[in-house]
Amino acid sequence: MTAPMGLIVEDLRITGPEGVLMRGAGFTLRPGEPLVLLGETGSGKSLLAQAVMGALPPGLRAEGRIVLAGRDLLPLPPRERRALWGRCIAMLPQEPWAALDPAMRAAPQVEEVDRLVHGRPAAEARRRTAARFRHLGLEGAGGRYPFQLSGGMNQRVALAATEAAGADLLIADEPTKGLDADLRDTAGRLLRGEAEAGRMLLVITHDVALARLLGGRAMVMLAGEVIEEGPLPDLLEAPRHDYTRRLVGAEPSRWAPWPRRAAGRMVVEARGLGKRLGGRELFGGLDLTVGEGEVVAIAGRSGCGKTTLGNLLLGLARPDAGMVRQGGQVGPLGLQKLYQDPLAAFAPSQPLGQGLAELCRRHGLAAGGVAALLPRLRLAPALLARRPSEVSGGELQRFGLLRALLLEPALLFADEATSRLDPLMQQEVMALLGEAAAERGTALLVVTHEAALAEKVAGRVVRLGAGGEAGAEGARPAPELAGQGI
Amino acid sequence: MRLSRKRLAGGLMLAAVAAFALLGPLHGADPLRQNLSDALLPPGGAHPLGTDHLGRDLLARLAAGARLSFGFALLAALAAAVPGTLLGLLAALSGGWTERLLLGLADAVQALPALLLVVLVTAFAPGAFLPLYLGLALALWVEFFRISRNTAAGVLARPQVEAARLLGFGRWHILRRHLWPEVAPLAATLFAFAAGTAVTTIAALAFIGVAARPPVPEWGSMMTELLPYHAEAPLALLLPGMLIFLTVLGLHLLAGRERA
Amino acid sequence: MGALIRLLAGRAAQAVLVALLVGTACFLMVRLLPGDMAYRIAASRYGYDLVDSAAAEAVRRELGLERPWIAQLGAWFTDLARLDLGTSLASGEAVTDALAVQLGHTLLLSVAALLLSLLIGPPLGALAGLRAGGGWDGALLAASAALRALPAFVIGIGLMLWLGVSWDWLPVAGVGGWREVVLPALTLALGLAAASSRVTRDAVAGVVASPFFGFARMKGLSDAAAFRRHGARNAAIPVVAYLGLQLVVLIEGVVVVESLFAWPGIGHALVHAVLGRDIPMVQGTALAMGLLFVTLNALTDLACWALDPRRRHA
Repeated sequence: MTAPMGLIVEDLRITGPEGVLMRGAGFTLRPGEPLVLLGETGSGKSLLAQAVMGALPPGLRAEGRIVLAGRDLLPLPPRERRALWGRCIAMLPQEPWAALDPAMRAAPQVEEVDRLVHGRPAAEARRRTAARFRHLGLEGAGGRYPFQLSGGMNQRVALAATEAAGADLLIADEPTKGLDADLRDTAGRLLRGEAEAGRMLLVITHDVALARLLGGRAMVMLAGEVIEEGPLPDLLEAPRHDYTRRLVGAEPSRWAPWPRRAAGRMVVEARGLGKRLGGRELFGGLDLTVGEGEVVAIAGRSGCGKTTLGNLLLGLARPDAGMVRQGGQVGPLGLQKLYQDPLAAFAPSQPLGQGLAELCRRHGLAAGGVAALLPRLRLAPALLARRPSEVSGGELQRFGLLRALLLEPALLFADEATSRLDPLMQQEVMALLGEAAAERGTALLVVTHEAALAEKVAGRVVRLGAGGEAGAEGARPAPELAGQGI
Repeated sequence: MRLSRKRLAGGLMLAAVAAFALLGPLHGADPLRQNLSDALLPPGGAHPLGTDHLGRDLLARLAAGARLSFGFALLAALAAAVPGTLLGLLAALSGGWTERLLLGLADAVQALPALLLVVLVTAFAPGAFLPLYLGLALALWVEFFRISRNTAAGVLARPQVEAARLLGFGRWHILRRHLWPEVAPLAATLFAFAAGTAVTTIAALAFIGVAARPPVPEWGSMMTELLPYHAEAPLALLLPGMLIFLTVLGLHLLAGRERA
Repeated sequence: MGALIRLLAGRAAQAVLVALLVGTACFLMVRLLPGDMAYRIAASRYGYDLVDSAAAEAVRRELGLERPWIAQLGAWFTDLARLDLGTSLASGEAVTDALAVQLGHTLLLSVAALLLSLLIGPPLGALAGLRAGGGWDGALLAASAALRALPAFVIGIGLMLWLGVSWDWLPVAGVGGWREVVLPALTLALGLAAASSRVTRDAVAGVVASPFFGFARMKGLSDAAAFRRHGARNAAIPVVAYLGLQLVVLIEGVVVVESLFAWPGIGHALVHAVLGRDIPMVQGTALAMGLLFVTLNALTDLACWALDPRRRHA
């Protein structure tokens, strides 16, 4: 019997104290052909990666067969599985800025793999690391600390470390979490390069765009089960399972464009607006008017000042130059906001219903208003008794919308309001937001880093350009400092 | 689950010392009455815990010491906690010069270790209780101030407060719904630790003779008096130490979590 | 570099604050003490039998007590700024001379206590942190909770009676060779170690559970190499930062423990001066302790700065 190259997983079941978390997963992964595991948060896809790695959280158990290069891994004692790390199996961490030692410069974190894992002399380790950094577009980054590098650069340093370790199997768990669209594309291309160089690549993601970019094969997971698999991009072009179809349809680029609405009277107006942050100009001389019923999007990379612009229009921050004016018909509560992290926007200790009741009392609103809006936003009345941390992110964001709608605002500022939600939930919340605004003639100001989303929803897109994240292509000569993700 | 068990144990320890403090007087002995012919008696008979070197009833003295320590600790901690917490909230809410002034004041107080500050204040009138209260309150309010101000400032920077303002809520609502639920549990934890600090401080200062001098029945000064008789009456020396230990451990456990 | 200068400037400001605080308190003490200050000083100098109103008057003129209080306050701080701390009312010795001797004793005790606590606390805490939740962790938690509930003087009496008296191993009072310093230093060290072991335990447990430690292991580094390269330094940062807070415990402990073991340091002298109302000595000793506190804090700041690149490049 010859040892087959590749990773074979057969009938993998993972059980925990609460029952079966994953049942009957199986696949074969060969060098050069990436395998993408698609699914939502909580679908069990990260558990699969941990099972292959042999790093399941305490209390969880894996059964079935995991065969790597002819060796069945599950019966091996922990010590022997641990010995495979780095040399045979490598894992590219989620949130790479947290996965690098904050007190050590970037280059030594890669050099140590050559020196300590492969026993190479220091000079050779330095030479190899320098070559890897050049290859990944990290010139000059080796002498910097992780907190001085951008999220994308940290990710490439981590990738260099896994390359140095030399494992044939590379697992990447949500490699684009926290990266914006441009950086996502860069990360996807780099990972595809790893597969093309002959490594086995297993990528776990909820990002359909990343899957399309990687190619190879894909498996779709739902509630601990594999519901569909096939080659990319065919699987995404012609999905058979209803869930896959919805997942693909939830990509902003596939959304139906929102109907354009005519702008009514002016709600807010900015003239010659300028703002600086830390000595850097975010924007200057900016003119913008939002009229009643209009949908305006502000798009751009992270760190370009999108949120700041929105806050200036709402009067939450002061401009360094220019002025902001509100329409005469806009009341004192006429400008409302939805936040990127809904959990941070509610008092954590107060049940949701109590907070809404207080809001109604404060402004003398009819108590029936909440009851009428709940079904419209597809929220169960039972949720009113819960605290913010006891409902899902999508539900909480809809409560944020409900809370704002009670005050009949003239303008609603959605600040990356759906960027932390799973794709299907993002689609649903955005649709509800659009419908609710259209029904009331409320103006919408949508801040997003997803260009496709901005195009679909807005009648007008303001693009904030220059500055921000470093090294989209790794082609910049000197690495820029960036604070993204730290 | 584990947390509440710890707290329960702490509460029971404090309840035991409190019961001892309150039930001690029922025994009827005067903590100050000397009777040299009864000096250093072992426990038993008319003196359930024995007598000290001057023939005073130990049970009565220890119980009186417990009342003194408890009352002192509660008052001193309260005198630090109330202004400290309120000033912290005030600093965070008002910002600007008020905040800078209060922060500077806190820095000034913490330039010296707390005990040194208390010793310096007690030096105005060694042995008296008032400077001891003042000194401890002066040293301890800073911790309440800092934790309340830092927590409140952190909450104020969160979107939840910005959202509440956009929704038309005022200061009072923000204080009650957003700041207080976060500040109060931390201040409560700190209160238990501050009371513990007060108990050990008065005992330590009495032990070195700067506060609560003999014949006042104070645990620390009792230990000073009984130290020369450690061979004859080890229990008499041990008991005040045990009571200090139980009280402070009880307070620390009741705090429920590590000191912030 | 700018961060370092800001840091040291902050400590210098703290030193000035200490001087202002101690100086003002002692000045007020002189003004508020009951009875005629000059008479009391004269009495302590010449003995109660020999004092008459002429002697008291001489003292009053010598101290400038007849001048307006604002002028006196100015003179008080002028002397302080010139490091002229006056003479002890009790012994007539210059305060600075007395301090020079006492400071040596206190430094010896503090440094011995700190070193001893660093030998006990962090290693035990690190062992517990590497196996957080284990039996050793629980035992250490209980031991440190118990030690933290005991004031230094109770620990000291316990050690004194156990090691010094019952076993007759170590002298229980005074100064001399290394044997005399063991008991007071151990007393202080146990209290310090109780706290530093917990901080180390939490820091090590945090580092071991951190994503960067996990990634170091996934790169293929052995557990020992991962800890040596990425664990120790990152765990040391909070431990050293906490040392600054612990210095409060150390200085407070010195005052009590020196008195208990009759260790002729600054803390002992401070207590004596307070009891004898020897205000120049109160001022001198409190000032010395406060400045020692500031100096040790500045050293801690420097260590943190050297360990943590985020501070250096902030």
